Amino acid sequence: MTVLETLLSGQLLFAALVTGSLYALIALGLNLVYGTMRLLNVAHGEVVMLGAYAAYWAFSAFGLSPLLVAPVVAAAGGLLGYALYRGIFKGLLADSSAAQVQRMESNSLLLFFGLSIVVQNATALVFTPNNRAYNYLGTVYHWGSVSMTGNRLAALCVAGTCCLLVAVFLGRSVFGLATRAVIERREAAFIVGVNVDRVQWLSFVLGFASAALAGVLVSMLGQFSPFSGFPYTIAGFIVIILGGLGNAMAGLLAALLLGVIETYGVALTSANMRSMLLYGAFVAALLLFPNGVFARRAAAR
Amino acid sequence: MKFSFSNRRAFVSGITAALLALTAGMACAQADKPLRIGFSMARTGMLANATPSQMNTYELWRDQTNAKGGMDVGGVRRKVEFVVFDDQSKPEQAVRIYEKLITDDKVDLLLAPWGTPFHLAIAPVLEKFKFPMVGNTAASVALRQVKPGYIWFPTSAIPDRIGAELTAMLKTQNVKSVAVLSNVLPFTKEIKNFLEPELKKAGIEIKVSTEYPPDISDMTSTLTQIKQANVDAVLALAYPGDSVLYAKQAKELGLNQPFQFVAIGPSDAFFPKAVGAASAEGVVTIAHWSPRAEWKGSQAFYDAYVKKFGEDPDYLNSALAWMSLEILETTVAKTGLDKAKMRDMISSTTFDTINGKVKFEGVQNVITPTAFVQTQKGKLQLVWPASMASSKFEAKKGW
Amino acid sequence: MRDLFPNRWWTVLWLSCLLLLAALPFIANDYVVGIGLSVLMWLALTQSWCLLSKMAGYVSLGHVVFYGLGAYLVVITWQQIPLPVAIVGAGALAALLAALVGLPVLRVRGPYFVILTFGLAELVKYTITWAESASGMASRILFGAPDLQVIYFSMFALAVIAVVMLTWVGSSRFGHGLRSLRENEEAAETLGVPVVRYKLIAFVLGAAIPGMVGGVMALRSTYFVVGQVFDPMISVTVIAMAILGGGDNARGPLLGVLFLSLLSELLWANAPLLYMVILGLVLIVFVLVLPQGIMGLLERKKTPSAQMLKDAAPPSPTRGGAP
Repeated sequence: MTVLETLLSGQLLFAALVTGSLYALIALGLNLVYGTMRLLNVAHGEVVMLGAYAAYWAFSAFGLSPLLVAPVVAAAGGLLGYALYRGIFKGLLADSSAAQVQRMESNSLLLFFGLSIVVQNATALVFTPNNRAYNYLGTVYHWGSVSMTGNRLAALCVAGTCCLLVAVFLGRSVFGLATRAVIERREAAFIVGVNVDRVQWLSFVLGFASAALAGVLVSMLGQFSPFSGFPYTIAGFIVIILGGLGNAMAGLLAALLLGVIETYGVALTSANMRSMLLYGAFVAALLLFPNGVFARRAAAR
Repeated sequence: MKFSFSNRRAFVSGITAALLALTAGMACAQADKPLRIGFSMARTGMLANATPSQMNTYELWRDQTNAKGGMDVGGVRRKVEFVVFDDQSKPEQAVRIYEKLITDDKVDLLLAPWGTPFHLAIAPVLEKFKFPMVGNTAASVALRQVKPGYIWFPTSAIPDRIGAELTAMLKTQNVKSVAVLSNVLPFTKEIKNFLEPELKKAGIEIKVSTEYPPDISDMTSTLTQIKQANVDAVLALAYPGDSVLYAKQAKELGLNQPFQFVAIGPSDAFFPKAVGAASAEGVVTIAHWSPRAEWKGSQAFYDAYVKKFGEDPDYLNSALAWMSLEILETTVAKTGLDKAKMRDMISSTTFDTINGKVKFEGVQNVITPTAFVQTQKGKLQLVWPASMASSKFEAKKGW
Repeated sequence: MRDLFPNRWWTVLWLSCLLLLAALPFIANDYVVGIGLSVLMWLALTQSWCLLSKMAGYVSLGHVVFYGLGAYLVVITWQQIPLPVAIVGAGALAALLAALVGLPVLRVRGPYFVILTFGLAELVKYTITWAESASGMASRILFGAPDLQVIYFSMFALAVIAVVMLTWVGSSRFGHGLRSLRENEEAAETLGVPVVRYKLIAFVLGAAIPGMVGGVMALRSTYFVVGQVFDPMISVTVIAMAILGGGDNARGPLLGVLFLSLLSELLWANAPLLYMVILGLVLIVFVLVLPQGIMGLLERKKTPSAQMLKDAAPPSPTRGGAP
């Protein structure tokens, strides 16, 4: 396949869109939690994985369609986020003095890392570490030269719709405005009367819910195991670093860009290079933006 | 007391009787002590889907053997007990486990783990401690360097032979162009290294040649390339995990070449379950066994396996596992647990197994031919070489 | 030396560890020696990690990259160059990588540095994976590796060097400079501490030992798998051991290494997943509740009022034993 053929391939475009839309959904949640609370949730991918397992069990044990189950799983994810917020993080953040903020951020990363290890291995203990998969919406549709399996098409539609909805919500609604205010300057938002606490827990809820939803969609597409969540976390981080914090639309674009790099990059080189490309992008993004794209944030707390 | 003739005879008989009783007693005590056989098996991790076929075979053998009173160790029957650890699909762990089995648990015999990387990993350990082990589910040209050896491979699925035989088979099907995609794990990578020169020599065009990492989750880009390339045959050198992914995505993208080869996976019962019987139909894969009248015990093994586990044995891995057990059995019955004698015997004897005769030259089995099977109407049939085939190759009709 | 032997208990602990580990190959079987080897390895890795991450506060989640690089060098030069040269070369290669990427990488601060180091390790891992398969190599086996005894004593030497190095740095001007930049990098710079140079030196020094450790361990496992020698869990375990131990001198890591090694020994064969869960819990608990580690607990017991004062204000660079 020549380079031009590769670039013009509708099939690859479809694949890039599917991957990109999932990354967008995942990055959205990450963005919300990090933007409002500066917590690098390295365990975000684990919520995705748990959502995948929930859908898997719903389907295998009860024959429930994952699309039906999705809202329930998303709600459960949101609940988990709320519980975590109220339980741990609200207290942690309330009495952090300015001097300890940066150290706490490194520590919070380690904390989430520990959490992700615990969740991964506990899940493996309970559900066995073996790969799981199921067959749903397996029929292949054809549109021109592009073949699309039903489940991938559904994933694209659901993820795309949700992302757009949340982006519009963040951009237009009052709450969205409040959220962006908190992301930009927390203390100032508080002073002007924004209910920072509410913004924070709503962000947690939305963030975890979107991750769980992404998990349901992912479970339809292929095999997963308790350790599949992590690559999604990494992808999510690349997206939010590239796209900028609190900027939902830019995040969506960055996610699509990543999907494109991955799909076309692999097609032009080989699947062996996929992880190299991904981590190369990751390292490059961090080196180019040493304080995250939002350089002002550190001083403004 | 005067030692009259009769007294002396009584005395000698008495001593003899006592000695016999003591020996019998010792032998009984020995027989009472269970025979501990150690190995590692990937119960968790990337390869966990593939290992039950081997673990089941080991357990079937243990149960059958113990029902007979135990394994024959140089004339004395001893009950078999397994010492098993989970290597988590990591060759590193397997190394530690086998060291532990030898130096800490001090097992009497060793059985092989599943898969080429694991056999390769523990080969130096076996050499260090001079502990012979009959391998099974592995093949690599790398281990021909091992001299003197403590590990043997009964399989005929050695990468260089596979390269040659597969090319020959493709030629008889008039295949002019192929696409090759390969997992970078040792076994499949070696096959690719040998296959491609053979294809070139035979004048078959390799339109696509690509590799992928073992943890791949999406093959769309690669398969799209293959679809565009319009080849006659697709050779997917895959491991069990990615074999399922390949089948599903090949179906999605409509890779409808009549010749579809998947290196490892389709010979195991989990494959048709995971991809559906229609998809599994017509796939060609590596195996050199099937239950046949002329191979003594093969039908009995097949029946016993199906009876105990409710599904077909893996025609490649279960058969190999059983063969390695037969070889071990035959050897230990003759030599007991003397490691040096075991090694000499395994290296030089021709063994009878459920796959016919097996003889090792160096680490390799030189009798069993390299063969391929194809799923036809849900059953695996040997389709190559012609000398051993039970059925002819049939073109695959889509996924 | 105050750092290493502040009181009688520590002297006893260090000396008994030293003696026991030195004598192990002569009194125990291969399996137990293997355990001792593992302890020495973790000690060397954790001590070298503390150099940058504890003293300067730049927490690295990519320590394994030096380990893996060292292992890789030894494996690809196997039987082509003398082994001691390969091992030293492994350390040099790792230090070289640190020197090359140090300047841009160390510009990044806080949590970004943490994930950057992680990303760097993974990038190197996948690059080498790609290079291996691109060069046609399917796997690498090392036949004829040296005896366990040789490997053991090499590791012993490396662990001793790591401990000595950390201790020496800890009480040197260089070490105080590192501590000061941990507390407040800008202030340190204005006070004349050559911040960039110090960070880089710590990074490079901390890379050499894991490189050699990786090289030695490659001989032990005799089968080289890229994914295994660049396993991120190695980095995580090092962090867990250091956090568990606490402190920024050589004593904390000893405690952390001993505790987790023992735990791992109990669990690795029979319940490896459980061990991982506990490892994760250790990280969580110690970050949340006991950020100063066991050392912090011990110090707190000694002088409660002084400790309360310490807790209230951000810690300042004091003589040895600062949390």
